[in-house]
Amino acid sequence: MSSNKLDAKIPEGPIEKKWDNHIFKSKLVNPANKRNYRVIIVGTGLAGASAASTLAELGYNVLAFCIQDSPRRAHSIAAQGGINAAKNYPNDGDSVWRLFYDTVKGGDYRAREANVYRLAQVSNNIIDQCVGQGVPFARDYGGYLDNRSFGGAQVSRTFYARGQTGQQLLLGAYSSMMKEVKSGKIKILARREMVELVKVNNRARGIIARNLTTGELEKYSADAVILATGGYGNAYYLSTNAMASNGSAIYRAYKQGAFFANPCFTQIHPTCIPISGTHQSKLTLMSESLRNDGRIWVSKKKGDTRAPSDIPEEDRDYYLERIYPSFGNLVPRDVASRNAKKVCDDGRGAGASGLSVYLDFKDAIKRDGENVIKEKYGNLFDMYERITDENPYRGPMRIYPAVHYTMGGLWVDYNLMSTIEGLFVLGEANFSDHGANRLGASALMQGLADGYFIIPYTLGNYFASNKFEKINTDNNAFTEAFDKAQKFFNKLMTIKGARSAEDIHKQLGRVMWEYVGMGRNEAGLKKAIAEIPKIREEFWNNLKIPGETNNVNVELEKAGRVADFLEMAELMAMDALERKESCGGHFREEAQTEENEAKRDDANFSHVAAWEYQGDNKTPIRHKEELTFEDVKIAQRSYK
Amino acid sequence: MGGNSGKKISLNLKIYRQERKGIKGKMVDYLLTEVSTDMSFLEMLDMLNEKLIKDGEDPVAFDHDCREGICGMCSLMINGEAHGPEKETTTCQLHVRKFRDGQTIVIEPFRAKAFPVLKDLMVDRSALDEIIIAGGFVSLNAGNAPDANATPVPRNNAELAMDAAACVGCGACVASCANASAMLFTSAKISQLALLPQGKVEARKRVLDMVKKMDELGFGNCTNEAECEASCPKGIKITNIARMNREFLTATIAANN
Amino acid sequence: MSKDCCSSFWKTSITKKVLMSITGFILCLFILGHLIGNSLMFIGADIFNNYGHKLMSNPFIYVIEAILGIIFLTHVYNAIKLTIENYVARPEKYYMKVRSGRGATFASSTMIYTGSAILIFLIIHLINFKFGPVYIGTFDGTQMRDLHKLMLEFYQNKLNVIFYVGLMIVLAIHISHGVWSLCQSVGFNFDPYMKYIKIKAKFFAVLVAVGFSSYAIWASLQGGF
Repeated sequence: MSSNKLDAKIPEGPIEKKWDNHIFKSKLVNPANKRNYRVIIVGTGLAGASAASTLAELGYNVLAFCIQDSPRRAHSIAAQGGINAAKNYPNDGDSVWRLFYDTVKGGDYRAREANVYRLAQVSNNIIDQCVGQGVPFARDYGGYLDNRSFGGAQVSRTFYARGQTGQQLLLGAYSSMMKEVKSGKIKILARREMVELVKVNNRARGIIARNLTTGELEKYSADAVILATGGYGNAYYLSTNAMASNGSAIYRAYKQGAFFANPCFTQIHPTCIPISGTHQSKLTLMSESLRNDGRIWVSKKKGDTRAPSDIPEEDRDYYLERIYPSFGNLVPRDVASRNAKKVCDDGRGAGASGLSVYLDFKDAIKRDGENVIKEKYGNLFDMYERITDENPYRGPMRIYPAVHYTMGGLWVDYNLMSTIEGLFVLGEANFSDHGANRLGASALMQGLADGYFIIPYTLGNYFASNKFEKINTDNNAFTEAFDKAQKFFNKLMTIKGARSAEDIHKQLGRVMWEYVGMGRNEAGLKKAIAEIPKIREEFWNNLKIPGETNNVNVELEKAGRVADFLEMAELMAMDALERKESCGGHFREEAQTEENEAKRDDANFSHVAAWEYQGDNKTPIRHKEELTFEDVKIAQRSYK
Repeated sequence: MGGNSGKKISLNLKIYRQERKGIKGKMVDYLLTEVSTDMSFLEMLDMLNEKLIKDGEDPVAFDHDCREGICGMCSLMINGEAHGPEKETTTCQLHVRKFRDGQTIVIEPFRAKAFPVLKDLMVDRSALDEIIIAGGFVSLNAGNAPDANATPVPRNNAELAMDAAACVGCGACVASCANASAMLFTSAKISQLALLPQGKVEARKRVLDMVKKMDELGFGNCTNEAECEASCPKGIKITNIARMNREFLTATIAANN
Repeated sequence: MSKDCCSSFWKTSITKKVLMSITGFILCLFILGHLIGNSLMFIGADIFNNYGHKLMSNPFIYVIEAILGIIFLTHVYNAIKLTIENYVARPEKYYMKVRSGRGATFASSTMIYTGSAILIFLIIHLINFKFGPVYIGTFDGTQMRDLHKLMLEFYQNKLNVIFYVGLMIVLAIHISHGVWSLCQSVGFNFDPYMKYIKIKAKFFAVLVAVGFSSYAIWASLQGGF
């Protein structure tokens, strides 16, 4: 059903004027009054750190929470490739409009136009801001910023800092944050995990956090809560996410009434290092910039056990170049991933497990010389060799897709506010800008856009438009949330079964990858929906956590997160089942063209699915936010 | 799969265990068999922990997060070297194939007065954040920045700045330094910002503030042994320390002039 | 510089290092001067003694000696202070710690020990020579102390030769790290030149050891005076 509970609050006017109009119409908080507001920000990745520093610069008091020992460790740090902006420095025909268009198209027309346009608009300010902070972007010999083409874009709009762009941008945002810690406007609360959202009079007014060093539960109150906790890709156990990346903050907010939008939209990244055995704890991504020069192939023969060097040219199938002659190896991520799975399912995969494809630099090395390739990709090649013990200069690398990013997340309106008043959600944790598939180098852009340039305006408007009664943590709501959290941890500790949280998480991951992975179908999804509650039951009956609650207890931390994944996974499967179309990263095998391409169903599914929690073991309600496209012409995506 | 896949070895682990902050710990021996050489070092510890949990013992606490060598959260002294024996490699990127069957591996936390142990191998490295808070930033508020290409930066400077900026803040430099000095960490940030026009404006104040904070936190003094450089997983060079020293001296001499 | 800035300036780790470096540098210059001056003994007793006499009869020598003494004591005081601070910086020692082989060297990690040995040596050296037996001779018609004779006599004892040569090797080890280190401490280290600075430091160390040892050995071989 189309829901009147979902008002996206998209401003009036032509798309290129919406954001400016909105800023102008937004109410302002008097500079002297800003110091009277306190904001809680959970997560210190690109979105959280940039929001924290900017809000503090404006004069708000910020409490910044992170799960790691320092805000600098957030997983944004692992992004390698780059960040997009419509600067058009290379003079190759880029514009805000084109970046907007590419992003909507890349997202397979499942994103909100107005949000995406705004993202493209502020993209340029981000680059200015980062350069100003001292982010050492790559430069040409004239000293000007260098750009490269990235992940399916036909213009060079990606700014980069070697293969460590995410790291450098995060350290830039982190340094801005540290500047405000010095000024006294930000307080860092590291090694803390949010366990409950606290609502007072239906507004988000605080959180309960667990101090991971002492095990104590702590109460924090504020005038607004911002979640910037990243994605929930670890529901699959194996993903490129960091070990501690989790969906608990957004999931617990969901249980308090925040709608969860498009939970099934996950991105599977095509260029990851393949799994080497059952001990595997995580997957490592290699920048997809590798696809600029590397050629992807498998053997034409099924079950070919020859070493790659023994497979002659005529027996190699450069399948992406064959199927998509104009984009070749640079097709979007979902297309590249799905094709890799297809050739492997076909029995033509490489390696002992048959679950990988070759990424070959032989021709690039021949064309440009080993030194040029080394300069461009040296650190990636080194990393590959370190992990696999295979030398990529001598023979082809092997890659396989892995879960990488979740486009889905908490539903937010144009102001980035969720369905809970005063609860804002930024970055990967929200659903807003990438539709059903995210383009390469756009995650960094979105995180920083939300934090540096959007939330400062929309949060001010929220404060100025509402009256806030003074509250503190003695309020009943805090006591209740505190008790609830305590009960939750005590319950986990008293199971005293036989299996570790990790072990059960792995079991969940296998089900998710098998049935809610790259290719989904009705039977598989139903199977997943039947299986997941069984694993959940196993978890609550047979979990084992050594140690105690009032100390560092890594197993207890993990268990808390797995408990949420076990519920979230079911929601993801339900959403995937309901969306009976293929779009972007969501590929329903029932919905494909004759050429095995994703087939959208715009008549029935041109909407955002936002799920409303109804209580434990009750089916959540699926709301719809219809998507209308006034400025982008909808077309079947084609990369041929 | 990996070059030597399928190989299984046994390892004798000697691990520092400390129940909680502020108490004394001890070295404990563990025998781990059937360890695949394709495992990463941390996956080997995962395996040990899985075994300990099964046996009803407390698993070994250690810090880690991204497991791809970039977040800087993993640490560990492995056989007397920070991040183990492999050059320019974090512990999470070290693999079991670098060890022999039956080898004894000593695993300890990073040690320094400024890095108190929280539990087992987990240490508190927030002192490094404190150093950055003292001045490791450019005082630029969002919205103020001029166009990114308004100030060209010589490519060489940008490259050197990037070399320094690659620091992941893991603290291996402190751990491996005979004096537990944080000079390499501090100098990396000072260098990065001093090399760029954007950071030049407050360079003098920055170096004085950061060095002062570094000293206050109880890190030792540099004796130019370069063990920090040798153990740095990101190859940060001690020429950054020389640059910091230069910056410090010019800042001191030029102060108030 | 404001007063406040001054007082905190002296307390920083970098200042202490710079102080080590400047005092070390001056001590190196002294060693170099001493080395060159002593080489006169190869030419002849009269020239050597004349050099010594002129040096010691100059009233400024007391000022220079005092300054040198202060510099030396500053170097020692700072070294002890740094060592204590560095020890305190890691209260819990490692169960196992190895040198990577890519950074610290034997010289770099034994500076306080080689330094202490040099301190003791210096005291003995002063007792042996400066405050040692006084022989008077007449050279170029002037009465003066015959240091040349003292030296030849002193090194007739093979144990003295062994002790002095041994200590010169210790000094060389100290200097080989010290000279490179003093460059680094004052910021004189740029990537492409690092190895040349290190080579020069080693060259200087070898020169000092070989030079001074050659005097002792040469003197020991001049029998029957």
